[in-house]
Amino acid sequence: MAELQGLGAQLSEAERAGVEIVAISPDSNEHSQKVAEALRVGYRFVADHDLAVTRRYGLVHAHGGADGQDVPRPATVVLDRDGVVRWFSVSRNLQVRPDPNDVLRVVRGL
Amino acid sequence: MLSSRASRLDDRGYHAPVTSGRLALLSVLTAVGAVAGYTSLLRIAMVRNHPEGYVIAFALATALATLAVARARSRRWIAWLALGFSSLLLVAGAWFNFVGARVPDTPSALRVGERPPDFTLPDASGRPVSLADYRGRKPVVLVFYRGYW
Repeated sequence: MAELQGLGAQLSEAERAGVEIVAISPDSNEHSQKVAEALRVGYRFVADHDLAVTRRYGLVHAHGGADGQDVPRPATVVLDRDGVVRWFSVSRNLQVRPDPNDVLRVVRGL
Repeated sequence: MLSSRASRLDDRGYHAPVTSGRLALLSVLTAVGAVAGYTSLLRIAMVRNHPEGYVIAFALATALATLAVARARSRRWIAWLALGFSSLLLVAGAWFNFVGARVPDTPSALRVGERPPDFTLPDASGRPVSLADYRGRKPVVLVFYRGYW
């Protein structure tokens, strides 16, 4: 959430209208959607319950969860209007996220 | 037997046991300050992306407490308590940062200049969201995350 908050806070209304931020997680996302609405940031939260999409992206951390379950590796990907990857960052430490300024720089340069 | 007041006037001089107490206090403040600072400033990328900072702070707190134990003349338990507290945080913090929070660094399917796999997933209202819907319309920032982070 810290990354999403940082990103949303820095995108102006105009930019937010021009960029879609899609947050993907295996968890039920009604709570996340409520949090996002409370923070007034326009994210789409989608659920990948069986991690099928996360697996196709090569972003699964096998048995990385507290109960030994598979979990996603935190990652941020920027796609341009043609749907092509222009930048991405995959975390190597759960506590660390890409600096929202880095993400914004890429988005503004599209 | 020397009185507690007179025991301060040893060959180290008047200040030794007072210094021990201050060092123990400084140690605890450093450790608690690191925890409070990190958790309250998580929103700031510079803080969040350098978690090794709290491990360094815990190491500093442990060093200060060790010094407090070495300098203690009376009421040693205060210094030992500070040492126990700071070294516990150091071990736990170092384990979490270097082991517990580690994510494997295997290559993903993402490649700059290529399109990633398309998908259709339900949003919070159950409506399907497809990546292909945005092609030709808007840039997209995909954020894969877990839990509350």
